[in-house]
Amino acid sequence: MVAALRHRIEGWMRPRQPEPLPAQLNRRRIYILPTATGLFFGLLLGTMGLGALNFNNNPALLLALLLAGAAQASLFGAHLQLSGLTVGAVAADPVPAGQPLHLKIALSANDQRVRRGLRVSHGDAATHASFDSQGTTVELALPTEHRGWLPLPRLQLSTVQPLGLARAWAYAWPQQSALVYPAPEAQAPPLPAPLGEQGRAQVTRAGDDVHHLRAYRPGDAPRTVAWKASARRDSLLVREYEQHRSDQLTLDWALTGGLPYEQRIRRLARWIDDAEREGRRYALRLPGQPLISMGLGSVHRHRCLRALALLPGEATHG
Amino acid sequence: MARRAPASPAMDPGSRQLVLLATAANLLPLLLQLPRVLGVGFGATAILVTWLSWRRTLPALLRVLLGIGVIGAVAFVSPGIGRDTACAVLAAMLALKPSETLSLRDGRSLIGFGLFAPFATFLLDQGPISLALALLAVLLSLVALQALASTEAGIVPERSAPRWQTHAGILQLLALGLPLALAAFWLFPRLPKPIWGLPDRVIARPGLSDSMSPGAWQDLLTDDTPAARVQFFGAAPAQSEMYWRGPVLWNFDGRTWHQDKWLRRVPAAELSPAGPGWDYQIDLEPTEGQQLVALDLPTRVPANADISIDFSVYAREPLNNVTRWRMQSAPPVAAEPSLPPMLRQLALRLPTGYNPRTLALAGQWRRDAGSDAAGRADAAISNRALSMIRAEFAYTLNVPLAGRNEVDDFLFDRKQGYCEHFSSAYVVLMRAAGIPARVVTGYAGGYRNPIGGYWLVLNSDAHAWAEIWLPSRGWVRVDPTAAVAPERIYDTLADRQPGRIGAFDGLVPMFNASDWLRRGWNDYVLGFNAQRQLQLLQPLGLGQLGARGLILLFAALAALSLGWMAWLISRGERERDPLLRAWHRLGIRYAKLGRGRHPHEPAQAWAHRTGADVPRNGEPLRSLSQRFSDARYADPRSDQVRALLHALKLHRP
Repeated sequence: MVAALRHRIEGWMRPRQPEPLPAQLNRRRIYILPTATGLFFGLLLGTMGLGALNFNNNPALLLALLLAGAAQASLFGAHLQLSGLTVGAVAADPVPAGQPLHLKIALSANDQRVRRGLRVSHGDAATHASFDSQGTTVELALPTEHRGWLPLPRLQLSTVQPLGLARAWAYAWPQQSALVYPAPEAQAPPLPAPLGEQGRAQVTRAGDDVHHLRAYRPGDAPRTVAWKASARRDSLLVREYEQHRSDQLTLDWALTGGLPYEQRIRRLARWIDDAEREGRRYALRLPGQPLISMGLGSVHRHRCLRALALLPGEATHG
Repeated sequence: MARRAPASPAMDPGSRQLVLLATAANLLPLLLQLPRVLGVGFGATAILVTWLSWRRTLPALLRVLLGIGVIGAVAFVSPGIGRDTACAVLAAMLALKPSETLSLRDGRSLIGFGLFAPFATFLLDQGPISLALALLAVLLSLVALQALASTEAGIVPERSAPRWQTHAGILQLLALGLPLALAAFWLFPRLPKPIWGLPDRVIARPGLSDSMSPGAWQDLLTDDTPAARVQFFGAAPAQSEMYWRGPVLWNFDGRTWHQDKWLRRVPAAELSPAGPGWDYQIDLEPTEGQQLVALDLPTRVPANADISIDFSVYAREPLNNVTRWRMQSAPPVAAEPSLPPMLRQLALRLPTGYNPRTLALAGQWRRDAGSDAAGRADAAISNRALSMIRAEFAYTLNVPLAGRNEVDDFLFDRKQGYCEHFSSAYVVLMRAAGIPARVVTGYAGGYRNPIGGYWLVLNSDAHAWAEIWLPSRGWVRVDPTAAVAPERIYDTLADRQPGRIGAFDGLVPMFNASDWLRRGWNDYVLGFNAQRQLQLLQPLGLGQLGARGLILLFAALAALSLGWMAWLISRGERERDPLLRAWHRLGIRYAKLGRGRHPHEPAQAWAHRTGADVPRNGEPLRSLSQRFSDARYADPRSDQVRALLHALKLHRP
């Protein structure tokens, strides 16, 4: 009953639907209510004021009124902590489902006011931030359950500053979604045996055995530069490594036949990680999608995992 | 004691220090008002308990024992139930509370309950020092609350940055709340009469009371706190004529003089004043009683006071605060020229079996003087008594404890004493000689403060004198003490001057100034009540406002001060840069016509697009946007910015 009412009231609060960022908090969407401490204080001040009025005790009345004035001002102070605040952007690196998504939220303000102890939260996840005119970025760990696009929730920004007597809060509801990768299978068989011709070496930039040196091209990683050789030649040289073609493998959807649908995805995700760890080039073939050709490294991995994450759900795919 | 929810996190040491500091500040003004034993004792207990429980809470058994101990101490020092006892118990609780204050919630409740201490202080004393200490306590309490809120918000106090910057925010809060507080103080409807009464004190303050035991005033006569401040309108009486009449004592039981309760209800007969009289206003310090003090003899008192048949003035309500009374007094031609038989009997009554030597002496004098209807013999007896006192007696405050026949001891053996002894012995002597007589207590003399030109009457000016009734003259004031030591009574001795220490009088101007300030405080802060509230509104033409009007006016002012806060808020939201602000306003004017700038659109692109649509204003708008862009990206001179601002403000689509 209470929970339902609470849910209903929260539904009335602005914003009522996701909005494009940046979103600035203004007085139309800042809410404020006394905390338990605040209620306790109100009761206290009421008692004191009543007693002072009854006995016509002016110093006591003055003190009670002063306290009440400060408490009232602290409501405005709490409001000011939020007002003018801009939620500039949110971003999150994809994480496997089940792991917390570290949502980065850029906060800034167009005034000089110092904002302290700002709480950014959603459900049980909460983080605190303090900043001045420079702005800041906070990280909120959101729980993830399923692979795919995770619509970002309505984030609560709240503060009990300056006195803890009142809580001011406002919501920001970014339109964006965060990508959640499938969780890699925990107990998976080793990588499948490579297919196709074996033994032919291929020159790549990653690998172990130095093959030869070549001129630097923009985009080469600094660690591949051969500094000593470059010093002798007056121009940058880059080492090229050779790697054996035998390491190449194609991770095919068909290899995971017989498993439940989601588990097939999870196994492929696990194999991708395994291949990356072992430094073996891999391609990914998924049903109804063009082959993701051979590759290795972060970009390739993300491309593959993204494809896996965005596979349609089981209901539509048998 | 299952009092702490596990959910409440612990305080960090910094916040805890602040909470304890705030509690100490809250406790201090209250401790200063308690009996000294309790004040010092509780202070020491609080420090000890805090020190012992800094690392972990004290064992429950020890806490219970400490609690019983302090309550026992309160019951021992001031047995009974009164507001001073209640205040002492509150102080004791606060002194012990730090022993179990660990979590955030504990800290907050300690601050909350701690704030009751300054309020309790004001039930005992309303002086400026108490208020100053209370203000400090409130300030520290708010600082502590802020620290607790910071802890809750996970702010780790940086060691490098001074915390004072954040504390300055508290002052800002108080300043913001001040208009609202003052409006409420000034305009909130006051109760003309309390709904429920103030509980009495258990330990009475030194002061005049309804009884007098000779030898009991030593404390009072060395108490240099003020009893009253008097402002005369027109002429003031001579200092030796300043007899401030308090309780009149009729009944003597051999040891103590008492007021007669029944006479208090009997109104005074009309007086025929002998002279022009004096018009004055007297500010009385609170005494808890209803007895007022008036210059001898009061002829006119305010409506909420009554003059009884023995010319004592009583208020209708107990004097719990500083109160102001406008009165008139005059030396009478004859006070009560015909004495009713009942009063005469009362004024002659003496306890049997006390002071035989005095009775014998008085009988001897009566036989010597004879008696006549005109009262010449009575006057002769009185003079004889006064000349005896003048010739053989000395004034001293150093008096041994009284025996059974106190008057005999004083008159025949000791021959030393102060006003209580002189007046008591004189009245017994007169009564024994058949002359109606009574003891009058009050104050004599006063100190004129050159700053403010008012008279200050101290508790040490307390005095007791006598009145005898003479046929056709009525009640006549006789001051036997003045026969011995007039300088002691009328404050004409230089070393009795307030603020003077021995022969050093350098502090006297400071005393004068501080007492003048205190008088202003009493006047403007403490004396403010329902009546004064209306008086304050009179110059504004709002004298006939009534309670409803007051509430409306208060609501208006409160709305105004809330509006002021709201204005500060909206200022917080607005753009700081005036140029950008003017540019935004310009954009809003166009947006109203549906020609607003898209969020992604640069200023100049918008100006060109819109300028093409509004041919009349197109060129000015384009040039404005060009100048605006230049000013934003270059570093313009201030006069250029001003001109541009002006142009932006004037531009209309």
